[in-house]
Amino acid sequence: MQSPLRLERRLTQPKWLNWGVPLLSLLGALILGAVVLIASGKNPISVYMRILERGFASTDAFSRTLISATPYAFTGLAASVAFRMGLINIGGEGQLYLGTIGAAFAGIAFADQPTPIIIAAMIICGMLFGGFWAAIVGVLKAKFSTNEIITSLMLNYIAAILLDYLIFNSKSYWRDPKSFGFPTGKRLVEGAYWYDMSFGPITVPFGFLVAIITAGIVWFFYNRTRFGYEVSVIASSPSAARYAGIRTRWKIITVMSLSGALAGLGGASDVGDFRHVLDAKGVQIAGYGYTGIVVAALARLNPISAIFVAVFLGGLSNAGYALQGPDFPSGLVGTLQGLILFTAVAGEILTRYRIKRQTHVAEGVPA
Amino acid sequence: MNNNILVIILASGVFYGTPIFFAALGELFTERSGVLNLGVEGMMLMGGVSAVWASQHIPGSSWFVVLCSILIGAFAGSLVAALHAFLCITLRTNQTVAGLSITIFAGGLGLSSYFANVWDVASETVKHPIRILNPGGLSDAPIVGPIIFHQTILTYLSWVLCVLSLIYLFRTRTGLKLRAVGESPQTADAMGINVVKYRYIHTILGGALAGIGGTYYSLTIVPQWVDGVTKGAGWIAIALVIFGFWRPDLTLLGAYLFGALQSLGLILKSRNIEINGSLLDAMPFIMTVVVLVLVSGGWAHKRLQAPASLGVPYEREER
Amino acid sequence: MADYIDSKLTVTMKGIVKRFPGVVANDGVDFEARAGEVHALLGENGAGKSTLSNVLTGLYRPDEGTISLNDEVVHFDSPREALERGIGMVHQHFRLVNSFTVAENIILGEQTKSIMMDSSAAIERISTLATQYGIAVDPNARIWQLSVGEQQRVEILKALYHGAKILILDEPTAVLTPQEADALFVVLRSMVAEGRTVIFISHKLDEVMAVADRITVLRAGKTVSTIECATTTTRDLARLMVGRDVVFDRVVRTNHAEPDNVVLQISNIDANDDRGRQALTSIFLTVGKSEIVAIAGVAGNGQRELAEVISGMRNATRGTVAVNNEVIPNGRVRKSMSAGVSHVPEDRLHTGLVADHSVEDNLILKSYRRAPISKFSILRRSVIRDQATDIIEKYDVKTPGTTTPVRLLSGGNVQKILLAREFNSSPSVMVVSSPTRGLDVGAIENVRKRLVEAADSGVGILLISEDLEEIFALADRILVMYEGTIVGNIAAHNATRESIGLLMGGIAIHQETN
Repeated sequence: MQSPLRLERRLTQPKWLNWGVPLLSLLGALILGAVVLIASGKNPISVYMRILERGFASTDAFSRTLISATPYAFTGLAASVAFRMGLINIGGEGQLYLGTIGAAFAGIAFADQPTPIIIAAMIICGMLFGGFWAAIVGVLKAKFSTNEIITSLMLNYIAAILLDYLIFNSKSYWRDPKSFGFPTGKRLVEGAYWYDMSFGPITVPFGFLVAIITAGIVWFFYNRTRFGYEVSVIASSPSAARYAGIRTRWKIITVMSLSGALAGLGGASDVGDFRHVLDAKGVQIAGYGYTGIVVAALARLNPISAIFVAVFLGGLSNAGYALQGPDFPSGLVGTLQGLILFTAVAGEILTRYRIKRQTHVAEGVPA
Repeated sequence: MNNNILVIILASGVFYGTPIFFAALGELFTERSGVLNLGVEGMMLMGGVSAVWASQHIPGSSWFVVLCSILIGAFAGSLVAALHAFLCITLRTNQTVAGLSITIFAGGLGLSSYFANVWDVASETVKHPIRILNPGGLSDAPIVGPIIFHQTILTYLSWVLCVLSLIYLFRTRTGLKLRAVGESPQTADAMGINVVKYRYIHTILGGALAGIGGTYYSLTIVPQWVDGVTKGAGWIAIALVIFGFWRPDLTLLGAYLFGALQSLGLILKSRNIEINGSLLDAMPFIMTVVVLVLVSGGWAHKRLQAPASLGVPYEREER
Repeated sequence: MADYIDSKLTVTMKGIVKRFPGVVANDGVDFEARAGEVHALLGENGAGKSTLSNVLTGLYRPDEGTISLNDEVVHFDSPREALERGIGMVHQHFRLVNSFTVAENIILGEQTKSIMMDSSAAIERISTLATQYGIAVDPNARIWQLSVGEQQRVEILKALYHGAKILILDEPTAVLTPQEADALFVVLRSMVAEGRTVIFISHKLDEVMAVADRITVLRAGKTVSTIECATTTTRDLARLMVGRDVVFDRVVRTNHAEPDNVVLQISNIDANDDRGRQALTSIFLTVGKSEIVAIAGVAGNGQRELAEVISGMRNATRGTVAVNNEVIPNGRVRKSMSAGVSHVPEDRLHTGLVADHSVEDNLILKSYRRAPISKFSILRRSVIRDQATDIIEKYDVKTPGTTTPVRLLSGGNVQKILLAREFNSSPSVMVVSSPTRGLDVGAIENVRKRLVEAADSGVGILLISEDLEEIFALADRILVMYEGTIVGNIAAHNATRESIGLLMGGIAIHQETN
């Protein structure tokens, strides 16, 4: 096998990679996306322009974008905190479902309380439910070293079945007894709606502010505390962690639960800011949890960057909803997100290797 | 006698287990070469949607169309797998993340759904489904009839593949080399085996088999296109490879076990046996977790035959 | 089968240059090995010996220079091509598939048209070869069932089976007892007697003198000289290898060992290895204040498990570890750290340190839980940086800065950082595993000096090493480990290379039990 290019290990990581790689990835994804669009007979420029227009270009559109961005920010943070310890939690989806169940429960149960108490209860229940769902994965991993990728994914499917069960297949606490024909969840009282904050013409959902604060806390936790230091040691070298007496098992359970709690908080924000009901189908179609993986990858696991990436992807999917139709088929947004993830993953190669032109093209170096 | 519930469970275990086996066998080859492919679900869905397209658009006799659909399903799966191979083998990216991106990119909310919309394949049932056969009129034979003789061509193909893959892996020189590549690429390289070639070929082969598995869903089980029709079968297939200790024969048995679990809800419902349907739906997923726990903890852990270099990119000029 | 190989090969390498990112591993090396000789390639770690042999076997492609066989210029794109031309190699890390049998490993590289695997013919040929060279190996055994020495024999057999006329061995004795090494030398001599060539890579002067006909010395990627073994001495070789006079004499101690003033006491310890098999059986030992107690033995005889039990990384299944007469709770790293145990593991970069972390973050690996490094669970970055700056200066660490990842530093500087951190914790006992392996001469001297300083200041040191020279240079007392037990306890001044070597091979035990 001879190739004109070769990969050479980088000894140091220049600073420009931190922003250069995500930008290059994004550019690459847009180009690949254009290829897909052209192949299916669409004009990529006009599709991209319309995404820009409907996702970002007006204050209205941007306000709606922030609503979509909020759960992405949380699931992105959820994926980041786990990935940073080398735990591949891809159960953000299911953990977020549990968060919506918990938040809807609190919203129904505390309906006669003042709004701040309801919101607090929704946040806490969302986090508890999501955290519990992820803790299952953490415990299995810590106790039996069961592969967390597959277990967390299986729990996504189980959570989806649970959601369907609560709304469609049982007379549960969450189901509206007055709904006939197509069953729905109990609608929350208006007192359980989360605040809308206005910053000039832009409406910022309360959940988005919580996400920003959460990102700051996560950053501090991971960069300035003993906890974060221990997590980074475990991530980089499990045997060094054992050598230093760091209790890896507990950390696995803690970090998984934390990750799940953040995803659950995302579910709570979705109920509080947007749906105001346990919407079993809607939340499954949204695919927030899977998108969180894209957010984390493109943000290179940095919690602050995750917020910006979430806004970007929120705009993309908001535009997707707004434009959906024969001209703008469903699945397009998912495809573009997938492409972004690809290029972000492939872009990581630039941080580890330099691509060099082969010096002796005639001879070639075995790849 | 063929109405006996055990016979029906066994027969549907084979029926529903077949696509899982295809996907798992593909994953088995890929993992034997040392590449972890978490994109199986995406590859199945791409195979499935492409096969539906082929079935709707290719003219000709039913047999010809079915054959073409299967081949196109396999081809679509292998294309996606080639992408995975490029990321993992040539670019040496993290295989876990690469596989995940494949599933997100091609999965139920991504490219497979996009193509289904663009091609408009979801609106009607498939014109040429892969039909259940009745070879020699034996499908009414007691017990073995429904289990063995009331299946599609793909089930018979899967049995042939199972035997062939056993011979390939454990009796041929190429199989020996494949296992060496997965166990110790350094050794294989030193012995003049082209590690990159072996990994590419078996990753792409794995994708083709996953594509056939997806085809089985869209052309036999449903038979119509529904976004995300495989419902996690790709992930179950990955778990099955571990469960089957990286052996095709054990993987086949495992696939039938999971096939039976998947169909249990329908069977019991048709018998008017009162049981929580949601719990039954969740059974395959719960069982996957249980099985994983069983094989990862305790005694089984020491006996696991995971290829030693699974998931580790091979780089010759390591320094 | 021919007893005498039909064609003889002379290999010549001229002006070989091989660069890696940041390093020039070979910088114009000239080398020639003739048929019928054992030609040693001598040099320090990092001198470029392994790179040169990887170039010769086609694993690396040289950036410049030529390789010729009998005056014909050749290019190898892979080890396979080199082997087809008769050049085989036994790597330090064996190229064997552990789950395969010996025969499967050997036929793996066979070029044949047949599709099916047929090992019966191969097994027969393997047995013939094995008898011919006196290499006893069961072709049906699986590799993981074999000892390291046996695995090495499989590698040699494999090369012979595939027709190697030139056999390169990379540090072959590193895993052998002195007696096993002698047996290997006999095999090598019988191979060259047939007209084959053996290229023997080593940094050990004694064994090179014992086995080689000619010696090529490499230093810093360049050929220093090629000499006849008969016309040189170890002293001359050492000077050529290092570039100056070095003799590792016994280091002078300012403070005498106090073996009766026990700081570490291990009583009746049993422990299992990672696979759950018993690795240690009733270990008793003591280390006194200011005493350096060495544990000699071939790797894999329980040394790693012993170090891990003492440092709390591994649970003992029986027995106790006491430091300053206080028993440490079993398997608790933090408890043994606070009791005064310090541990320098053999895997510096991935166990003792976190390779990707910065120098300053590595220096707090054991103190990050305590003030002044952290307060209320929050790390104090400025304190951490100041501490790192101090240590870098005090221990003369060569690093671009405190935030440089340690994986970018040289082996010697990596070890300095690890030792600095451990000394800084003011331990009572240090368990030190292979502290100088892979280091160059200057760094070795530095590490040994630091260890002696620590002992002089009162620290009891348990030195685990496979390097007998190092043990003789440092130890007050020598224990030998064999198959998880301690088979000898000898004062250093009474010990000889031969007696320790026999114990390392388990000879004493067999004499007692027979």
